[in-house]
Amino acid sequence: MSHPDLYAEVDKSAYTNALAKSSPVTKTFFALSALLISVSASYFDMPGVISFIVPVVVFTICTSLTLGLAKVKAHLYLDLFTYPILMLILSCIFIALFFGSGTPVIEIPLHWATWTIFKSGISMSVNTFFRVAGALSCLFFLVLTTSITDLCVLLRRIRIPQAMVEMSMLIYRYIFLFLEISAKMSLAQKLRLKRSGWLSSIRSLAMLTGSLFIRTLDQGERTLVAMNARGYDGEMHILDDFPSARKTALVGIVLFDVLLIALVLLTKTSGVVL
Amino acid sequence: MFKLENLSHRYSDGTLAIDNVSLNFARGERVAFLGTNGSGKTTLLNHLNGILKPTSGNIYFEDKPLAYDAKSLLTLRKRVGFVFQDPNDQLFASSVKQDVAFGPLNLGYTADRVKELVNEALVTVGMSEYVDKPPHFLSGGQKKRVALAGVLAMQPEVIIMDEPTSSLDPIAISDILHLLLQLNKEKGITLLLATHDVDMVPLFAEKLYILNKGKVVSEGTPKTIFSNAELIRKVNLRSPRIAHLFEVLKKENGLPIADEYPLTISEARKEILRLLKTTEK
Repeated sequence: MSHPDLYAEVDKSAYTNALAKSSPVTKTFFALSALLISVSASYFDMPGVISFIVPVVVFTICTSLTLGLAKVKAHLYLDLFTYPILMLILSCIFIALFFGSGTPVIEIPLHWATWTIFKSGISMSVNTFFRVAGALSCLFFLVLTTSITDLCVLLRRIRIPQAMVEMSMLIYRYIFLFLEISAKMSLAQKLRLKRSGWLSSIRSLAMLTGSLFIRTLDQGERTLVAMNARGYDGEMHILDDFPSARKTALVGIVLFDVLLIALVLLTKTSGVVL
Repeated sequence: MFKLENLSHRYSDGTLAIDNVSLNFARGERVAFLGTNGSGKTTLLNHLNGILKPTSGNIYFEDKPLAYDAKSLLTLRKRVGFVFQDPNDQLFASSVKQDVAFGPLNLGYTADRVKELVNEALVTVGMSEYVDKPPHFLSGGQKKRVALAGVLAMQPEVIIMDEPTSSLDPIAISDILHLLLQLNKEKGITLLLATHDVDMVPLFAEKLYILNKGKVVSEGTPKTIFSNAELIRKVNLRSPRIAHLFEVLKKENGLPIADEYPLTISEARKEILRLLKTTEK
């Protein structure tokens, strides 16, 4: 899937998934607490030991909630994972190559020195992989089930500065407009026989970026006029209106978190020893 | 309700967009401003809710001159709503609900009152099922309706619409016209429209102003104005198709057609039936 399509699909999922109408407080609380616990469990990581139990549990639960409960399409979920996972694998390879100390696993003789790969480096790399994959599944649960509007209202509730929330809302709204405009402009360039060479494609891109920039300034001005016409006073008020969180759901999440912490503590010494 | 006295507006680049215009309209009227692109329609209407300040001349709303301090503007804008030509300019919030709520929230209403107004406005324009959707999910016609709802939620007495039918499909045009007529009839909302859609004007307007190069060149009912075909052509507009047909039938074929040409299908039907009866005799 191309990038703009993927964004649009993620956005669509946030409005149409089976959990779209449930409280964003519940969803955010669940995703962020699971994320926090799973990531902070790395405190107990021991060099040379791969401890994957907690991240795998978190990953399994978040993924099954996203696919099973929220009924997000599996192919979208997989597509969303593609780029971060590629990035993650690359980073983990580097961690294994450059980090660690203590017991060496492989020693590669280069003619000026010896390159050593350590046991602790490999365990750190594999642990990081599991940890990040678990964390990604928490975040993807959140972005695939909760709309930006709901998140913005939530940000206002927890007293995030007005200006930041306003900007997020406006950026979110106009990203889609400018994606559409840039797609049209790029098509217009193609229809006028844009040449496919590297240099000319850079030139076309520069032209597109330039005119898009002017369009954004222009759009900003016109939107401000329209906002003024409806009594804008320099502060964008947000209607605080979304389904309130069910107590049972919140209690359930607290229980889940307690169990997860218990699991972290129970499994802190277990793992695969390299 | 509104009174304009010798209104002129000169843009900073030197263009005289409005040239000494004086006019007034009453509560509950349906008024259309007809003119080509660049004739000054939008500039004129932008003055009526304080978006633009006149370079010279006066504007009175209910016998009081417009004031431009923040508080007076807010009061004016609560009473006079403006629906912009491009709904993408107007819909800036991340969801339909937040966008429609923007106006009422600026008026300082409580959250419950705002929710009520939002629901009411969305029901009126028939968009209540899209309440939680973001604007980029909507079609052009739907966006226009939501933009109208955003203004309606402020419960205005006057609604100004700039090109309400531009870039809409035929069904969407007829829907929005019906909606406007219904608002005028049921809520007594005064409607001021800028348009170059000559076929739409007779269906909507009781009063018509023809604008050309910033001047009002003619005013009256659509009937009287469109029977003066020379004037209409002089300002680069055309008559409604139906009026044009009857004009040709009268001038080229010598049919005994009334001096005021029919402008709509129902008027044309009456005129044809009348003609058939006179020829039968």
